[in-house]
Amino acid sequence: MRKSYINNNIKLNEFDALIKITVEMSRYLYPYIREILQSKEDFEENSVIWNNFNKRFIELIKERFNIDSMRVKKLLNQAENDEIIVKSLLTLSLCISNQGYEKLKNFLYDF
Amino acid sequence: MQNKLSFNQSSVSLEIIGLPDYSNNENKDQISIISQWKLTIIDKPLIEGKIEHLGPIMNAFYIYSNLLIKNEIPLYESKLIDIKAENLNIHNIVLKSSKPNVKPLILKIGNSLLSDTINCFDQLNESPKVRIKKTDLPNNMPKKLRFGLNNNVKFFNFIMPPFIAICSLILVSSSFIYFNNPIEDKEKKELINPE
Repeated sequence: MRKSYINNNIKLNEFDALIKITVEMSRYLYPYIREILQSKEDFEENSVIWNNFNKRFIELIKERFNIDSMRVKKLLNQAENDEIIVKSLLTLSLCISNQGYEKLKNFLYDF
Repeated sequence: MQNKLSFNQSSVSLEIIGLPDYSNNENKDQISIISQWKLTIIDKPLIEGKIEHLGPIMNAFYIYSNLLIKNEIPLYESKLIDIKAENLNIHNIVLKSSKPNVKPLILKIGNSLLSDTINCFDQLNESPKVRIKKTDLPNNMPKKLRFGLNNNVKFFNFIMPPFIAICSLILVSSSFIYFNNPIEDKEKKELINPE
């Protein structure tokens, strides 16, 4: 999915390290993640945060991902990407406890 | 005098009230015998109950959130609590009282409050100051993974008997090769048909 000409397969220890970094980041960013989710809940009254987040998300996808891929196109389609973004944010917000690493790993293996 | 412990996450607070188990030489500030718990969600009615209700309610939240994330039908129903998704962002919770003639309590919470509540439960599970009996503890393991483990065992049980049967057939039939003598067979045929 990434804009890269090299196909690198991720090793298990690198995968574990990435999960650990993601959990630490989501623990640190929990108040922001929560705000974005809340903005989507009260979209009619408080849409600014969600719109800003969505705009930046799409910018980053266009910048770093291969936009010719069908899966990336799905991420860019605003009608379809809401569910993916909300579920991803919810997953991150549920993995901020001390056992967050195990939780996120289980969620990803089941994906 | 009872001990009180609070677990807070943004708009949700979980209060556990109880006593230490002195027969186990526990510290004064420990809680092992939970007498009451209170779940406070800002702008929502107070949820409280006995210890036997805490485990099923925590379990319901964990199972529901797993279903929600894994794109399965987000619906949990039990005698005590029902949780159903109204849409992607709003969840309906129906808490049924164990007392007769008490109307069920209906709550609508968003994803932010759902994650706050589950994080409070996580804090309780991880707290060294509260000891919950194993029977009260919810199974925090994702449902699909649990089914996956069961399926592996079932698959193993299913595949092993025919596999052993085929192997034993091959072994037994291969031993008959020693009884087969093609030269002797040829001589016998020649005796029957002398031409």
